[in-house]
Amino acid sequence: MKAAARRRLAIAGLTAPAYIWLAVAVFLPLSAMLYFSFLSATPVGGREAHFTFDNYVDFFTKSIYWFNARRSLELGVHVTLLCLLIAYPAALMLAKHVRGRWREALFLLVILPFWSNALVRTFSWTMVLRGDGPVFGPINPLLPAGMQLDILFTYPAIVVGLVHAYLPYAILTIYISLQAVDDALIEAARSLGASRLQAFRRVTLPLSIPGVLAAVFLIFVPVIGSFMEPRILGGKDAIMLGPIIENQFIAAFNWPLGSALSFIMLAIVLIVMAAASPVLRRHLGATA
Amino acid sequence: MSRVDIENLVKRYGAVAALDGVSIAFENGEFFGLLGPSGSGKTTLLRAIAGFVIPDAGSIRFDGERVENVPVHRRQIGMVFQNYALFPHLTVEENVAFGLTVRGTSRDDAAKRVREMLALVRLEGLGARKPRQLSGGQQQRIALARALVTRPKVLLLDEPLGALDRRLRQAMQVELREIQRTTGITTIFVTHDQEEALTLSDRIAIIDQGKLIQVGAPKSVYERPGTVFAAQFLGDANLFAGTQAGDRLQLAGGDTIRTAGPAGAAAIVRPEKLTVLPAGDGRAAGFDNRLEGTILQAVFSGASVTYRIDVPGLKDPLLAFMQNQEGDVLQPGTRIVAGWSAAHTVTVTA
Amino acid sequence: MEPTATCWIVRAYLGLVLIFLYLPIAVMMLMAFNSSALYELPFVFDTIWFEKLASNQRLLTASLNSVVIAAINAVVATALGTLAALAFARYSFRGRRLLQMLLFPPITIPWLIIGTSMLVFFFWTGIGRGLHAILLGHVALSLPYVIVVVGARLASFGPELEEAAATLGAKPGQAFFRVTVPILAPGIVAASLFAFAVSFDQFVISYFLAPPGVSTLPVEIYTSIRKGFTPEINAISSIIILVSMGLLLLVVRNYRFGGER
Repeated sequence: MKAAARRRLAIAGLTAPAYIWLAVAVFLPLSAMLYFSFLSATPVGGREAHFTFDNYVDFFTKSIYWFNARRSLELGVHVTLLCLLIAYPAALMLAKHVRGRWREALFLLVILPFWSNALVRTFSWTMVLRGDGPVFGPINPLLPAGMQLDILFTYPAIVVGLVHAYLPYAILTIYISLQAVDDALIEAARSLGASRLQAFRRVTLPLSIPGVLAAVFLIFVPVIGSFMEPRILGGKDAIMLGPIIENQFIAAFNWPLGSALSFIMLAIVLIVMAAASPVLRRHLGATA
Repeated sequence: MSRVDIENLVKRYGAVAALDGVSIAFENGEFFGLLGPSGSGKTTLLRAIAGFVIPDAGSIRFDGERVENVPVHRRQIGMVFQNYALFPHLTVEENVAFGLTVRGTSRDDAAKRVREMLALVRLEGLGARKPRQLSGGQQQRIALARALVTRPKVLLLDEPLGALDRRLRQAMQVELREIQRTTGITTIFVTHDQEEALTLSDRIAIIDQGKLIQVGAPKSVYERPGTVFAAQFLGDANLFAGTQAGDRLQLAGGDTIRTAGPAGAAAIVRPEKLTVLPAGDGRAAGFDNRLEGTILQAVFSGASVTYRIDVPGLKDPLLAFMQNQEGDVLQPGTRIVAGWSAAHTVTVTA
Repeated sequence: MEPTATCWIVRAYLGLVLIFLYLPIAVMMLMAFNSSALYELPFVFDTIWFEKLASNQRLLTASLNSVVIAAINAVVATALGTLAALAFARYSFRGRRLLQMLLFPPITIPWLIIGTSMLVFFFWTGIGRGLHAILLGHVALSLPYVIVVVGARLASFGPELEEAAATLGAKPGQAFFRVTVPILAPGIVAASLFAFAVSFDQFVISYFLAPPGVSTLPVEIYTSIRKGFTPEINAISSIIILVSMGLLLLVVRNYRFGGER
């Protein structure tokens, strides 16, 4: 069938360039790293490397890696929870209590920082969080001696930086799903006797779950894998999986270990994805 | 102007056969309607003729030449889409001229032809507007002008009047017919609206579940449906089932009616063929077939009255249309007798 | 109408959120104009850091690298992504689902992992590090975004227009350039601006793939922060923030105006 063959050719020609590129830049590298994770040493400069599980075993036996992984997960949970807590009311207000021009303008204002340069944003926090910087500097002398504000290079600083980075994202996804809740549904609930709070709890909240779950998913994963914010804002206190992996590649030159740790992190990410996806799909299917 | 011949066309999507061995001959210059419920395959058939659907088996011929492997842009067809598909970024004139532009026609020739077309659809002077500035009816006519300007062999219309309101639709039906008669192009259109199919077509085909149910001139398909489906899809029908011997059909309730033809699976009578008279009215004796019953519902709709009549032994109420000529509307509860002729009692296969 | 109490709560809360979001950026921009090298108050207006910036070769070279890579990335990613988006929007075929799902890994897998794996693979296969490697990575990251943005625009006007063009005798190429591209244009522009922004702001991948001596702006800023801060960083950061946000505004403006049928 010439016509059918022509069609197949068209489809292949359109998709091939992009996907070959993705294969070379993403999928093949991931496979290569998987291979590397089973090597005993970085195969460079004539060094002999043999197959081994040691790198993975090390993760499970050396407590430092466990510790780091746990810290990363904790960070993920803390940041995600904070983001949700702050974002939900904001999204709710934007979606339901602000009208017209204001809504668009405010929405844009909220999203804008998200698309600015992440590194620069993180860097800007270093100035704010220092005890002797332009924000806390003037305030600290006014505070009692035991309560000085200087949280740079501490865990809270990392949390603040990450929450700041992902808050717009959370507001965005929750806003989208709240927006989709037809006002008529609320009105119907009210007409059937529900109070404002009941209408919210029984109609709005359940229907906004997909947005919340999307936010969880979109925040938790990158936070686990972050190394820039922990490094810049946490300094020595940045004992997490991300910085450790980066260290293996840049400083310690132990690529096999770094690869193994990366894949363990990937596994954690995939487990989270797998856990979230059926719930996500079910909710998305229900509201689609 | 071409004739189009479809032979045993098959198209499957997964396990479902959208087209299941359809064969139709579209005569040169005729206005042909493809009628069927949604999902029947009529649109798939139209799109196969256009070239957007590649059939799995069977052949499509324009004037005897096979076109299944000819790409859409070389088939020399004209098509009007359900939502008109006017190019929003081009003016009306550029839209209508599009077919000529891509063929490399000179500016002047194209402009001349566009003017002719706009005159044909009576929309001269709107050339500089953008599609979104036109009303639905105007958009429809521009879409038609655009499709005709290249003098295609076949004109394909996909639910051409579906988006218009009733008044406009009726006006457009008349215009469409006129334009087709003037240009003489073989025209195939798809619709699920039986009234439209009946009004516009020289011949119609009823399609259901990928199969051709019946082909013929509107009146003949209407008066002599071959199957129960055709009878019920095209217009309303009263269905009589029972045992048949010769030209007599015995109903469950014991009554016998005379049919027009030899035995079939069932017999149908169109509601307008029935005359409803008060019980006891002597004129009832003049009819071949008579059934007594009680009026369940009487709906007055201006030019006619629709009666639903309960007849003992019949599962569904009898449906009758009476022209609003004389006498009062018979009220629910009235005992009546419905009469009609044997010639109007058509036997059908399953 | 909303009762006034709610109104005030709403304004207050949203105001606080906005303050939180913009505080560090505002502070940083303010400090860029402060004469003190250690962000100390009091505030004394001075453009000295911008002047120093103009003669800071490393930062300027890095900026140029960033811009050039971002521009090439925008062109390449938009071209490849638009083609793929066309395939998804206009054809249904077995494997379409799978291909669409394959777009998720580049954006959902932490960039740390993507960056390190690229480092490993490029090194192993001899592609090595450098600006070309960085470009390779950036395009891969931009592709999903381009496909989504262009895909959304394509979805908004269905295949009938191209089909109509075909019935009128337009060859596939003619239909594409006379019908699809003009209507798709706003989406393509939005996607390319997006891709530019993604590449320009990208740090993690660039960090792993930058050999010593060659880097992009974000990488340069990072090394500066780690090694010892120079206030020019403040200046260039302020500029970057404004550029990034400006780009986004452009995307939104363009996308919306072109969005109407």
